[in-house]
Amino acid sequence: MTERDILMKQLSSYQFLVHDLKLYLDTHPNDKATIEKVNEYTAKLVPLRDKYEKLYGPLTTFDAEKNRWSWVNAPWPWENEEVD
Amino acid sequence: MFVYEKKLQYPVNIKNPNPRLAKIIMSQFGGADSELAASVRYLSQRYTMPLPELKATLTDIGTEELSHLEMVGAIIYQLTKGLSEKEIKAAGIDDYFVDHTLGIYPSSAAGVPFTAAYLQSKGDAITDLHEDLAAEQKARTTYDNILRFCDDPDVKDAIRFLRQREVVHYQRFGENLRILTDKLDENNFYAFNPEFDKKCFKNQMKKNK
Repeated sequence: MTERDILMKQLSSYQFLVHDLKLYLDTHPNDKATIEKVNEYTAKLVPLRDKYEKLYGPLTTFDAEKNRWSWVNAPWPWENEEVD
Repeated sequence: MFVYEKKLQYPVNIKNPNPRLAKIIMSQFGGADSELAASVRYLSQRYTMPLPELKATLTDIGTEELSHLEMVGAIIYQLTKGLSEKEIKAAGIDDYFVDHTLGIYPSSAAGVPFTAAYLQSKGDAITDLHEDLAAEQKARTTYDNILRFCDDPDVKDAIRFLRQREVVHYQRFGENLRILTDKLDENNFYAFNPEFDKKCFKNQMKKNK
């Protein structure tokens, strides 16, 4: 795994945790313990996201205002760079 | 509104092409119980849902299914990348190749193109939630069947993740159904359509008395 893959995996792990807990909150919107967990993991996710975008390019087209070329040119998610 | 995020929900990094495996996985891209069918089903049903929990769940799961569609597409793409004409013929995907070359086209493993006839938006929350529960189980079985023919650990890893999500979504839809029936007349849930006959909710029934 490249450095980029490792950072992506950390970022995706926290993002997935938050996503799955939020699905639970759709049917249990007042569950305090879950809301606290979402806040805890979101706090860990945000700096990882910022670091990733700084090093490897924007994750959404809105984040790409200052770096249009990187949005276009940085590898697309379905490409496997280890093979290319 | 939808905003694209330039990443997969779960990584797909396949080292060895395997067009025969790609062909059977195609059913989860554009087959009857595919991620595409799931996404269109939930994102269509949500508009007329009678409770906020149901609207939220269908929106969030319908959106997650789009991420799964992208992952399945990435798996098929990586399994068929850079094949020669000889390899294509040997793997028995020349029938796919003649129509699509190595482009990713939503169809079943047997080549049947995707159709909205695979799904329903019935305008009745009880009916639609039962369809959604069934859809998650049908997709789970399809992933189980794919795993029977899959010995590549790179592919297995991603398919197992997708299979597990079907189980979690089934759980969430089950809670949706309970939340809905808790608010209806327990003597006969099926006497009314909760999306059409507003007076079937308990609080409305009290008001009418």
